[in-house]
Amino acid sequence: GTQVKDVVIKSDAPSALLLDKHADYIAAYGSKKDDYEYTLSEYLRMSGIYWGLTVMDLMGQLTRMNQQEISDFIKSCQHDCGGVSASIGHDPHVLYTLSAVQILSLYDNVNVLDVDKVVEYVRGLQQEDGSFAGDKWGEIDTRFSFCAVATLALLGRLDAINMDKAVEFVLSCMNFDGGFGCRPGSESHAGQIYCCTGFLSIAGQLHQVNADLLGWWLCERQLPSGGLNGRPEKLPDVCYSWWVLASLKIIGRIHWIDKSKLRSFILACQDEETGGFADRPGDMVDPFHTLFGVAGLSLLGEGQIKDVNPVLCMPEDVLERLGLHPDLLSYSTPLVPAAIVFNRSSSSMS
Amino acid sequence: MAESEEEDVLVQRVVKDINNAFKRNPNIDEIGLILCPEARYNRSPIVLVENKLGVESWCVKFLLPYVHNKLLLYRQRKQWLDREALVDITCTLLLLNSDFTTAWNVRKELLQCGALNPERDLYLGKLALTKFPKSPETWIHRRWVLQQVLRECSPSSSDRKEQRDSGLRDAAERTRLSERLHRVLHDEMKVCADAASRYPSNYNAWSHRIWVLQNMAQGNLKVLHDELSSMREWVSMHVSDHSGFHYRQFLLKALVRELSQSMHHHHAPWPSPGSSSPRSPSPEPQPGHPHHQANGEATAAAPCLSPATPEDQSSVPAVPQLFHQEMELCTDLIQSFPGHETLWCHRRHVFYLWHHWRRDHDHHDGQGCGSESPQLNHTGAGLSSYPHTASPRGVGLDRVESRNGQTQEGQNAMEVDGVGVPDPRDTKRLKRGPPDPYPPALPSEHGFIASVLDGCRSHEQGCFALAYRKWLDSVIGQ
Repeated sequence: GTQVKDVVIKSDAPSALLLDKHADYIAAYGSKKDDYEYTLSEYLRMSGIYWGLTVMDLMGQLTRMNQQEISDFIKSCQHDCGGVSASIGHDPHVLYTLSAVQILSLYDNVNVLDVDKVVEYVRGLQQEDGSFAGDKWGEIDTRFSFCAVATLALLGRLDAINMDKAVEFVLSCMNFDGGFGCRPGSESHAGQIYCCTGFLSIAGQLHQVNADLLGWWLCERQLPSGGLNGRPEKLPDVCYSWWVLASLKIIGRIHWIDKSKLRSFILACQDEETGGFADRPGDMVDPFHTLFGVAGLSLLGEGQIKDVNPVLCMPEDVLERLGLHPDLLSYSTPLVPAAIVFNRSSSSMS
Repeated sequence: MAESEEEDVLVQRVVKDINNAFKRNPNIDEIGLILCPEARYNRSPIVLVENKLGVESWCVKFLLPYVHNKLLLYRQRKQWLDREALVDITCTLLLLNSDFTTAWNVRKELLQCGALNPERDLYLGKLALTKFPKSPETWIHRRWVLQQVLRECSPSSSDRKEQRDSGLRDAAERTRLSERLHRVLHDEMKVCADAASRYPSNYNAWSHRIWVLQNMAQGNLKVLHDELSSMREWVSMHVSDHSGFHYRQFLLKALVRELSQSMHHHHAPWPSPGSSSPRSPSPEPQPGHPHHQANGEATAAAPCLSPATPEDQSSVPAVPQLFHQEMELCTDLIQSFPGHETLWCHRRHVFYLWHHWRRDHDHHDGQGCGSESPQLNHTGAGLSSYPHTASPRGVGLDRVESRNGQTQEGQNAMEVDGVGVPDPRDTKRLKRGPPDPYPPALPSEHGFIASVLDGCRSHEQGCFALAYRKWLDSVIGQ
């Protein structure tokens, strides 16, 4: 037989949720700022802070983080053009503009930033064909479409862009398999699918998605170990527990994956000694995978974790406060009955 | 404090050593970290052996923070750095941390003011990719640089001064620019191929490759077909590489689009200058893009490679044959390498493209699939450039299916080899001859699935065959 690309979960892998350890891990992360690894990742620091704070909030531990220090930091990262950079002295980009707005939304304090300038910055990134550039240098990617509308949605300023054109561009990135890539003609990828379904949710255009077809592609991401990959013949990775799962939730097909097997996989990715989650069992942990492991568990209904919003990856109670309720598709009579949809994770290995 | 001064001196030496290495050997083709926990007395941590540049790991923890902070001080206007220093510092930084976006942006600015030339910058990116073949920021920066090159090679954006003097660019200049584009395109394909080999299913490398063709070789049949041919061997040795196979799907789709347009003699108005704007890269080749026109004229609007000649065009197989060849390749690989999801995904995609092309093609014909000589009403360049599109290959399917829906016919269509490029002299004969074996049809696909399941020893292979059947039933066979 063929070896399927997958991991094997050892019998002694963690099977209980170690929330306290994860909170301790995040609270202590980055306290040694001279660390070489920390410098290496400074180019995405704003997103790193968003990952850390969001997972702490989901675990009910946000108060352990230093709100004032973070707010001051964000303020010093807004540039004259209105955009926000990943860290002080770095160049602005829509990715970090979104992360900054998400962080400040957790604290209900978006006015630390000049909001009008943020809106202008995002508006200025939209192209004639409806796509969004990431920054003034012009790279186009559906990720940036998502960042743009998510930022504006949190600020209540979705009217600032040409939504019809924006939708037109994202739809032009839909592939024959129902998935989405980074640009028209690009390969379907779970991360891009998350961005595009999230985008369409915010834009109120989820009906344009072929939910059965896409749902099928997404549930084919589940492997015998229970973990999810991002594309065919890739290894499972805990971050796809978020992107694939959230996408399924958005399109109303989350019940198409084997939830208990996925849960076991995610739990196995914990590190019992250091706290935190790694991409797959036994690997090094980091805040990125820690957020998506916890958020994935939340989507699976884990009682000890707050409900997470699948579109914005933020606690539902924060969005409730903002009055934000992005659309989700509900499950209606499918073209392809779920029972027939082939689910490899439930079949035995040869 | 003396210790940190010592560190500064050391680090500055190292930065100099790195840049001297490049000056000494302009052919460095790979960079890497040498695991070496301690400094050797008085010896540079920069090691150059043949064309490989190594950095001993002990110095990196001093080196990176130093150059990192220096660049940021410059960015915040707290410390001035001249252009040469910026080139050196960003070079060192990006070889250690190629996702440091701001460092790439500094290099964009150096390029804009002429302190750096695009080819040099592309070279740095190429090196960075030998160490970090996925690096998103490296690929992103690369696309920006390529857009600058495209702009430089574009006749429409030529120096206004030049246009005032002695009129427009002459043929020699156009040739020079076209050659430059060819070189750059060729290099890009190599960089993508290298990165794809260094990391399995490298999404960023392959999506970049697609971007390059979409923006630097729109509708160029020769390039598209050459790529399809040259990738055959690679994908056969990388049967799990979903991105590699997706690239073939992209090529097929682009080829089919171009060929179909020529067949239907579809000419849209020439694209306006705005449509080739670098800031909004065109999605797939637009209808009626003039690059493939037989007269070989470049558009006024966009930079381009020398367009495919009529000889190039006629060496590209007809659409049905392209699909047949692809399905054959897929069948071979599925049978040789059981249990690879990628191969079955590829089959789905190719069949889908074929199915829809046939449907659209029949619709266009206006006379359905039943006639024996479908293309006689197409005139001029279409026929003469594509003699074999007039073959009855575009005809056979419905007749196959109408024969009591027997799969026999279909299976013969799958198995027959030697659907070679027909001799143009045979065109007339072929039009009236017996139906040639036809590429994929639903019956033949179900036959294929049955043959796979029969005696299948790989559990996964069986599962994928069943999933393919389900997909055919639910997505295709409505």
